[in-house]
Amino acid sequence: MDFDFSPEEQKFAEEVEQWLVENHDPVVMDPTRENFSQLADTPERRAFMKKLAKKGWLGMSWPKKYGGQEIEGVYEFILNEALSRHAAPQIGKGVGIIGKTLIRHGSEKLKQEFLPKILDAEIEFAVGYSEPQAGSDAANMQLKAEKVDGGWKLNGQKMWTTSAHFADWYWVGARTDPDKPKHDGLSLFLIPMDHPGLEVQSLPTIGKDTTNQVFFEDVFVPDDYLVGKRGQGFQMISEALDLERFTMFTLSPIADRSRVLIEWVRTATRDDQPLRNDPNVRRIIAHIATDTAVAKGLSTRFVCAAKEGGKPPTIQSSQYKLFTTTLSQRVCKDALDVAGAAGQLREGQEDAPLAGRFEGAYRATMNETVGGGSSEIQKNIIARRKLGLPKNF
Amino acid sequence: MDLDLSEEQQMLVDMTRGMLEEHSTIDVVRSMEDDPRGYPDELWKQMGELGLNGILIPESHGGSGQTLLEAALVYEELGRALAPVPHFVSAVMSARLLMEAGSDDQKDAWLEKIANGDAILTPAWLEPDRGFGPVGVKLAAKADGDGFTLTGTKRHVYFASAADRMIVLARSDAGVDLFLVDPAAPGVTLTHQLSQASDAQYRVDFDGVRVAAGDRIGAAGSGGAAFEKGMLDGIILLAAQAVGGAERALEETVQYAKERVQFDKPLGAFQALAHYMADASTGIDGSRVLVHEAAWNRAQGRSISRFAPMAKLFACETYREVTRVCAQIWGGVAFTREYDIQIFFRHAKQLQLSWWDTPYLEELVAADVLDR
Ligand SMILES: Cc1cc2nc3c(=O)[nH]c(=O)nc-3n(C[C@H](O)[C@H](O)[C@H](O)COP(=O)(O)OP(=O)(O)OC[C@H]3O[C@@H](n4cnc5c(N)ncnc54)[C@H](O)[C@@H]3O)c2cc1C
Repeated sequence: MDFDFSPEEQKFAEEVEQWLVENHDPVVMDPTRENFSQLADTPERRAFMKKLAKKGWLGMSWPKKYGGQEIEGVYEFILNEALSRHAAPQIGKGVGIIGKTLIRHGSEKLKQEFLPKILDAEIEFAVGYSEPQAGSDAANMQLKAEKVDGGWKLNGQKMWTTSAHFADWYWVGARTDPDKPKHDGLSLFLIPMDHPGLEVQSLPTIGKDTTNQVFFEDVFVPDDYLVGKRGQGFQMISEALDLERFTMFTLSPIADRSRVLIEWVRTATRDDQPLRNDPNVRRIIAHIATDTAVAKGLSTRFVCAAKEGGKPPTIQSSQYKLFTTTLSQRVCKDALDVAGAAGQLREGQEDAPLAGRFEGAYRATMNETVGGGSSEIQKNIIARRKLGLPKNF
Repeated sequence: MDLDLSEEQQMLVDMTRGMLEEHSTIDVVRSMEDDPRGYPDELWKQMGELGLNGILIPESHGGSGQTLLEAALVYEELGRALAPVPHFVSAVMSARLLMEAGSDDQKDAWLEKIANGDAILTPAWLEPDRGFGPVGVKLAAKADGDGFTLTGTKRHVYFASAADRMIVLARSDAGVDLFLVDPAAPGVTLTHQLSQASDAQYRVDFDGVRVAAGDRIGAAGSGGAAFEKGMLDGIILLAAQAVGGAERALEETVQYAKERVQFDKPLGAFQALAHYMADASTGIDGSRVLVHEAAWNRAQGRSISRFAPMAKLFACETYREVTRVCAQIWGGVAFTREYDIQIFFRHAKQLQLSWWDTPYLEELVAADVLDR
């Protein structure tokens, strides 16, 4: 047993940390954006991604043939944890979902067109799976793809396409075979985001930022831009999720929020007494620290399972996601409780404790137990796949 | 033993709900978010016309002198409707303080006006880095000739910009005193502060504000006790407000769970979600019966030193937990501004953090259970 990273991994973690400290830039890295800080949505953040590319840190786990280094996924885990700890944009969708799917299933043409640009951080992607009737039930996508001469014509609507308002390319699931069973009728497409048939409408959230709905009107996609095999869309989506467990939900921002709260409690006073002497506050902080250690343990567990190879660590990653996102919300709630009446002051108010960081985070984390597979979906996975309980939905 | 409402009580509920459904719609609630004044004239006028502002004020001062039980029934409706009105600060807390400790002149000057909605009064109580207890009051009242000067800072003063008077808790040589202060008086500075529930609350800075001796409410040093007594009544009503908010949030969620289909089933057919809603419903009914018992005890003239804090503790915890679970059931849409459940989610947490928070209430209950 060994809870530490190997010396090489440790060395890499230190190198990344040092580089991030040297390249610290508050315009790029803003922890108060909470979950949205992972997006490369401004020119400055895109320039930062280019710097990461120059360091050779994009696509490290890819095969050498496609410009990667064929090193273990744990390095991408280490990198993403460090990036998210600094509230920098992360190596999300391009290197992970899209790059890895293209490597396994894409045509030579698509590989040549997209992989080098992903490695150079030249393009940002938006991922369009969800629709009004396809949330947890992702296989229920209804976006219609009709076969026409030389390609496909797409009509319908996507919900929750987070990066649609700044991305260059759109990775979209659509129904090409309505007569087949619902899991076998979907295909994946790549569409330039500035296609005139796409209309992006902002969906403002109660967190820091906006997501979008996207309307498709006669969006023509040439045959070449159907990814992999027709009808294999859902299988590729699921496989990409499994490949992506390493970089999907980082613990660092949550652990860092706990750290920020603890630092505050150390020095805050109430009625001229140190807040840290309050037994109630001490109890809350003890639980946050303990639960954060458990979350870290669950993360270590899935990293180790993933390193062993073989089956994807679906169960471990579901347990990690379930526990950690719940903890994340609880830390925000607890922080407001610790702050007392002042906790009600809105983020940004000068008088608010920690400038209202936790009031903002209380709202911003609301979605964590829903997006990316809700808590209930994770519980279903654990109940069925780990415990072998019968399916009941 | 009988938990039913009387005919008059049921009429009061129906009348209040009917008015609020018309004048405190979700559009009205949204239009008041972050508004510096914080309440709409029409709604306030309607409250006055139904006599709701005078519900706790004696008939001799223009009110209808009903019990806390009737007021609790009204508060459940205000909670359902998320009604943006200065009723609690003015017609409950300020009216209670004047009734408890005010001079005849003070009562004559304000109670009738509060009862018919012509005047708004609001307590100025909490201070930066200070707690809810009596030692939290630090704003200094220095004896000065035939009056006092006030210096210090208050926060979470709701509806201060619309108020005719604040009732300021201040520390004098005698202890905690209450003073009637005009928000427009020289030396008073109001700063609107945004909050989680988007209500109209203010930071109020007092810089040597002159107060006449006749504007002290009650005897020197008696303000702290009067305020605590008023709070015990008040928190029962806030607990009722929490019950109403939680129930409406759950109702709308149950409706959604019947309509929204995933995996070819309505969401409510998943036991995982159905059980959340069953828990929520039980918590809400438990809260309501506790609130009613607290209010009934008060109406009977019995002690509420245990029931009142228990009611707010439990009802506010339930409201917060119910809104968390409801947001979870709505899924992604709960996170958008467009949907309403997020408003309940924000109100619930703020209500729990205000007017005695969870740790403070826990201590009150524990002290009542263990120390006497
Ligand atoms: C801010 C934000 C950003 C997003 N970004 C993207 C993006 O970029 N691309 C993208 O494709 N999607 C994105 N999503 C969509 C996200 O993945 C979905 O919100 C999520 O899958 C849940 O779907 P839903 O919102 O339709 O909720 P629903 O599926 O309607 O779920 C509602 C409730 O029902 C529960 N439920 C559903 N099925 C079951 C079951 N079988 N058993 C028990 N309970 C069940 C859920 O757990 C939840 O509590 C985003 C969402 C948000 C809010």
